[in-house]
Parts: sequence; C-alpha cells; structure tokens
Amino acid sequence: MVEHGAIEAQTLFGLDPTWLAATLFLCTYGLILLERVNRAIIALFAAGLMILSGVLTQQAAIQGIDFNTIGLLTGMMIIVAITRKSGVFQYMAIWSAKKVNADPWGILVMLILVTAVFSALLDNVTTVLLIVPVTLLITDELKLNPYPFLFSEIFASNIGGTATLIGDPPNIMIGSAVGLSFNDFVINLGPAVVVILAITLIPIYFIWGRTLDAPQELRDRVMAYEEKEAITDKVLLIKSLSVLTLVILGFVLGHDLGHQPATIAMFGAALLMLLDNLPRAFTDQAEVCHRTYGNVEWTTIFFFIGLFIVVYGLESTGILDTLAHEVLMLTGGDMAITALSILWVSAIASALVDNIPFVATMIPLIKGMAGAMGGAENLMPLWWSLALGSCLGGNGSLVGASANLIVAGFAERAGHQIHFLKFLLMAFPLMLVSIVISTFYVYFRFL
Amino acid sequence: MTARLVMNANPAVLRDTDKISLAAEQIMQHRCRRLPVVDKDGKYVGVFGINCLLRLVLPRALVMEGGLDNAAFLKQDLKDLHQRFIRHMEDPITICMKEDVRVISPDTPLIETLRILYNHKGSLPVVEPKSGKFCGVVTYWDVGAAILAAEV
Repeated sequence: MVEHGAIEAQTLFGLDPTWLAATLFLCTYGLILLERVNRAIIALFAAGLMILSGVLTQQAAIQGIDFNTIGLLTGMMIIVAITRKSGVFQYMAIWSAKKVNADPWGILVMLILVTAVFSALLDNVTTVLLIVPVTLLITDELKLNPYPFLFSEIFASNIGGTATLIGDPPNIMIGSAVGLSFNDFVINLGPAVVVILAITLIPIYFIWGRTLDAPQELRDRVMAYEEKEAITDKVLLIKSLSVLTLVILGFVLGHDLGHQPATIAMFGAALLMLLDNLPRAFTDQAEVCHRTYGNVEWTTIFFFIGLFIVVYGLESTGILDTLAHEVLMLTGGDMAITALSILWVSAIASALVDNIPFVATMIPLIKGMAGAMGGAENLMPLWWSLALGSCLGGNGSLVGASANLIVAGFAERAGHQIHFLKFLLMAFPLMLVSIVISTFYVYFRFL
Repeated sequence: MTARLVMNANPAVLRDTDKISLAAEQIMQHRCRRLPVVDKDGKYVGVFGINCLLRLVLPRALVMEGGLDNAAFLKQDLKDLHQRFIRHMEDPITICMKEDVRVISPDTPLIETLRILYNHKGSLPVVEPKSGKFCGVVTYWDVGAAILAAEV
C-alpha cells in the first residue's frame, strides 16, 4: 500500500511499490536514451503504467503534474507562435548584420548576441528556428562556411537561455518547483551568463573569427537587404511586442504580487489571441485559433506531463529521499562539495542525455536534502548549481539540447551537415570552460 | 474502360542519368509542369518537376523545410537567379527528382483514374505494377481531349 496524503493506491499483484516504481522509472529513462520511440509516447505510456500498476492513483498522478511549468511553457509557445508571424526575428537578425557593415566576424558576434537575448526572453528552440534560416541566407550570400555561425548560435542559445526563468525548460521546472521569480534568475544567474558568453567568444574568435572574410561586393549585397521588408504585419508586430513587454513585466513584478508565471504567460497568450482575433470575422476566428493552438509543441507538453507523473511515482515511494541521503553521505553533507558536485554531474549528464528528465529527477532529490542542510532556504546554492549545470551542459554535444538538434537539422537540409564527433570535440571542452567559470561563480557568489 | 483509354503512351521522358540543363530544356520546350523519369530499362523511377528548377534558382534558406517564410527584404534580380542556375546545370536530375508521386496502373478504371487526377492535381505516371515498366502519363489535356472527342 502506497500513501500520497489522503490518497491510497494498491499495487498490481501486491508487488513492492518501490521496486515497481524504480523499474518503471529506469525503463522510461532507458527507452528515452535508446531513441527508438518518441520520448513523449514513452513518458505518457510509463505514466499510464504508474497508475495502472497501482503505484499512484489517478488523483495522485494529477497532483504530481507541475501545472505551473505546463502553463508557462504553453503560454509562451502561443505568444511566440503569434509574434513570429510579424517577422520581427528576421528583422532583428538582418538589422544586426547591417549594423556591422556585413563584416563576417561582426555578424557572428551580433547573431550571438541576438540569439542569446531572444533565448533568454523567449525560448532557445524558437530562437534558433527563426535565426538559423537568416544565418544560412547571409552566409550563403557571403559565400562563407555557415558552421562557425551555427556552432556559435547553439552556444549562444543555451547560454542565453540560462539567464532567465523562461529561457530554458530546466529553469522553468526549477523556478516552479522552488518558487523562484524571474528576477531571482536574472540577478543570480545573469552575471555568470554575461561572463560565460564573453569568454566563449574568445576561442571562437581564435579558431574561426580571425580568418572570416568576405569580399566587399558580397558584403554590399547583404547591405542591400531591406530589413523593414522583413516585417510582414506591422499591426501584429505592435500588438505582439506590447503583450510580450507586458508579460516580461508581469514576470518581473508578478512574483511579489503572488502571481505564478503560468498565470502571466497564459493570460498574455489569451490577451494576444484576443487582440489578434478581434478584427477578424467570428467565422474566421475558429480557423485562426486552431492554427495558433496547433503551433504549441504538444509533444513537449505531453512529455512533461508523463515525466512529472513518472518522477512523482518514484518520489512517492521515498527512493529519492534515500538517494538524497546517500548523496549527502558521499559529500559529507558539505554544502560546497554538494553544490559543485551537482553542477558538474548535471553538466556532464545534460551533455549526454536529455536534461529535462534529469532535472525532473534532481528536483525532488535536492528537496530531500533540506532537512540535512538546515532547511529549504539553505538549498539555494544547489538550485543555482543545477540550473547552471543542466542548461550549460546542453552545449556539450549535439544531443545535449533540443536547440542543438534543430540547428543540426537545418544545417543538413542546407547541405552543411554538422557531424556529431566534430561538434563534440570542440563543444565539450568549451562547455567545460563554462562549467569551470560557473564553479568559481557558484563558489564565490553562493558559498 | 481503363486509364489506357486516356493515357498518352509516348510522352517526353527523362533518363535518371540526365543533367539539370537537359531537364530544363525539355520542360521549357514541352511547356509541361513535370516529366517522368525512367532508368535504362524503361522502368519508372520518379518525376522531375518545374518546381525543382525554381527551387534551384532560389536561395536555399528560402526553399528548405522550415526556411524563411518571407523574402521581401532580399534584393536580387534575374542575373542572380541565372547565376544560381548555372551552378546546377551539370548536376544530375536525381538531386531533386520526386519519387513519392502517386502513380496508377494502366488497368486502373477510368473514373477512378479521373478521381485520382482530380485529387492529385497533377499528371499521373502510368506504371505496370509488377514490372515497374513505365507505360505513359495521364494529363488533364489528354483526358480533356478524350472527353471532348467522345460521341454522345
């Protein structure tokens, strides 16, 4: 018999719920790693088994879903889906390339900055989806190898996303589970992100930047781009940027007013949909709404739902508490050793496997350390270490983050395949540099 | 009454070893949207469409999956497009030949042939199911001519 507050469940054939939950959890991880079946299917299937096998009741499973994370993700996806139609992202990319007179190294730096800022304020997957096609167009025009640009954009997206609550899914999950605000992330991780981004540019310059060159006649062609023409709908641009600004303001101010990020993101999405649909005929609105909702990445949302249930099933058996104590035994309960271990382990793990299930598992595990660390309020260095490790670790390999795979997919379709090993050999050491910087940062800032 | 009744058994075809330059010449000469492609044994292998030619003269970032959905900011002229075409003239047609085009059998019933043509919105290669041998094409024009010529 497993207890979850007032809810009780009976396991199938009276099997030991701890073993059952652990087996289901490990099988879920294994199958996700194998990449034979889509991860959203695996997570939802495993969640179903958690309930059907009696580890959790349906009510308990629903309790395990972090609807703040789900709401925040969905709301932002809707806002971005509408905003992108205005062409503002292409405008920014072209504008930034022209600002540096189409100088190749200047373009690379500007695209890194644009990617990092958009990744911090939106999400890194959407950012690369919109920036990479412009990058390929510009590099094609300048007859340059796009690889240095794409490599740098991958890094910029993952580094930029680390800076805010909404920039990367691990941060959304951590922020929601711990009740951290948008400002908390910016204040505590922002400085590290700025330093890491600046230092990352140094090896990129010495490896590629100093040899990047393009004849003036080709640069003139880029300078002839009319970025204003990239804006396809000025009215929509004003509406979406206004709502986006309000949403960001809501994130900044909402925490102190007691509003969760999901409420702000979902309300912002509803407001933007209202503004987008109001001028349309009622009969057309159904089709527009259908298209907008269709742009939500439901596979990601259902992956999260399934995963939350699977991890909650495991958590409910007390295994994660036991593991937390084991970890503390290993680190001797020392905060510095524990924080830096979490930073490095999460970085390496996130470089090799999907960081979402990893973070989903680490959250209850770290929460389980509260007692030994003198209360939940003392765990902050551990949370920042997890955020830095899991977000920056995504840079370590091509499979480390969804954004990396999306860039690789674009590159392949454009005839410039990014090879796994070639990327790894450059990216992994550069990722380690960012973790070394984070180590100093965590140590001197939080310990 | 089958597809044979409305099929053109001697259409212009391309060989899978042909180059883009020849495909462009044929398409422009015959004013057709696409041409069937066969191998040395006369087996059907796919179709080469005029859209492929358009694809080759446009920047890759515009025509790739997930590419830019607006190119109004680009200021390129016909010379730029021609330059891009020249770069591909010697490429084999297989670089953008479509293999997943709907085909029909010569024994497909007439009305079913027309239904597929209506839904498919493009000419239909007619292929012998067992041997894969190319038999001809059914186009709107062949069908139209056949219907108009039919006596009531």
